[in-house]
Amino acid sequence: MGRRTVGIAVLATLLLYAVPLWRWCCSFKQEPAGFYMNRSSPQPDRGLPRMTGEFISRDPGAGTVHVASICEMADGRLVACWYGGTREGARDTAIYIAVHNPGMPGSWNAPRVLVSRDSASRELRRYVKKLGNPLVFADSRDRLWLIYVTIAVGGWSGSSLNLKVSNDGGRTWTRSERLTLSPFLNVSELVRNNPVQMSDGSLAVPIYHEFLGKFPEILWVREESGRFKVRKTRIAGGSSFIQPSIVACDSSRAGAFFRSCSDTKAIGRATTRDAGTTWSEPHHLDLPNPDSAVNAISLSGGRILLAFNDGLRGRENLQLSLSSDRGITWQRVARIEEDEGAEFSYPYMMQDSRRQIHLVYTWNRKYIKHVVFNEGWINLKLQGGSE
Amino acid sequence: MSFAFSFLFPWLFALLVIQWVTVKVKKPPLGWRLTAILAIISGIFILVPVRGLPLARWLIGINANFSLPLVACVFNKAWEHASGSRLLDRQASMASWIFGLSSGLVLYPMALGLGDFDPYVSGWGFSWLFASMAILTVVLLVIKNRFAAVLMACILGYDLNLLESHNLWDYLVDPFFMLFSLAALSTWLTRRMRKTLSG
Repeated sequence: MGRRTVGIAVLATLLLYAVPLWRWCCSFKQEPAGFYMNRSSPQPDRGLPRMTGEFISRDPGAGTVHVASICEMADGRLVACWYGGTREGARDTAIYIAVHNPGMPGSWNAPRVLVSRDSASRELRRYVKKLGNPLVFADSRDRLWLIYVTIAVGGWSGSSLNLKVSNDGGRTWTRSERLTLSPFLNVSELVRNNPVQMSDGSLAVPIYHEFLGKFPEILWVREESGRFKVRKTRIAGGSSFIQPSIVACDSSRAGAFFRSCSDTKAIGRATTRDAGTTWSEPHHLDLPNPDSAVNAISLSGGRILLAFNDGLRGRENLQLSLSSDRGITWQRVARIEEDEGAEFSYPYMMQDSRRQIHLVYTWNRKYIKHVVFNEGWINLKLQGGSE
Repeated sequence: MSFAFSFLFPWLFALLVIQWVTVKVKKPPLGWRLTAILAIISGIFILVPVRGLPLARWLIGINANFSLPLVACVFNKAWEHASGSRLLDRQASMASWIFGLSSGLVLYPMALGLGDFDPYVSGWGFSWLFASMAILTVVLLVIKNRFAAVLMACILGYDLNLLESHNLWDYLVDPFFMLFSLAALSTWLTRRMRKTLSG
């Protein structure tokens, strides 16, 4: 190579790096995103205390159902999603979706398969061995999102995340898109809990890594020119906490609550003061955790409601607790389920536009149960009353 | 673009395998006419549908992001079989192996959970990684090391979104490239030590 060729090559290199540098400089012109607070002045629910429950999946068959999530669309309909098959991790596992029409008798319609192993393989144009955790949610533009796990090789540590979006309330969906989130064969990324909407329209989805280390992360999803751009950041390292559940307190502060997979069987908590950019070192709360999923949402008055298995072994109960100090101290509110030898697990909560709280969870691995209550019922329970 | 590009590595790899078989019966260089025939055969081979998927996409099911240095190494070997000359000379090959091993050692342990720092995050947008790679490329250009061209291809591929990943790390290194670099460096070191010991 002559001196002139080297000079041209150096110039070309600098130009090629100028593209990402230019994008980076442009990002400084944008306001840093905070958590989107859709209730600028939260009003406490004044409705009469009420609490009802029903099964969404009606036919238990010989199989298992697990990992439900629920969201509300702009027209008030509810959408729930979970996976089901002959057993957890079976090759016939599919992702099911059901819709709840408010005011209609029979409430939940018959679940249908949204993603099967074959359809995922076809859409992703690669081999899919089995399906795992799905997460359904609606964004501020009334689009439905589905993020779900696929596995090509091995067990849960071989998981990768995929994304589908519906612009018409779940009637049609975009082709599944693989999200590349890990440098090592893009494996060991899983999803579980509620996403947080950001003020710039992007989404912060709590995810977790489960391979050599086990740690909580945030998947940041932003739409740019019709394409989804993703990146992730770590909430904490190590091998102690997974399945973060993030609750925004205001535009910059939030708490994250974790399933503990260490010998210390207690729920973990970390906080952020800069909208999820950096997090405090996680610590254990005084609430037990038998290595099972937890879920938290914010209520009026800055209170946080937490659903979890209240014990050190097994998942034989499902408990609600309330915190008025951003998750530092907790008061047990109500036991939703309790039965020795049974399993009530993977709770997922959502508060709808009418301030009703929807809780879905795995009921003995046979059903997905949907429980609805309001803040009046929680307040009643706090005072020791019964409805 | 990334879907079409995903066939490149499986195609080159299949070509290399067929070339390896061919050189058992015909001494290299194989020549361009024979290489073109082998390239067509390997192209047809990777498109053969197996249970509804082209064979190439089965490989993509294991790893969708083969790094560009690995693609370059395979291309270099295929070129060598065809022409008898090397696009990446000894210095460039050595630079690529050192780069593959060192970047893999920096990235994988920490990205998989060793410590709290995740270097993979730096690949999503302009960061110290981009600045380091730009400097390394310029240095390699100045000392006239051909591996600089491979690093230039990496940032070009990133700008053009050639891979499924939008992270620069995935354009620079993958686990197979790291293992290949480790094997190549180990072989080189072993040979050098034997040579020194023998005298």
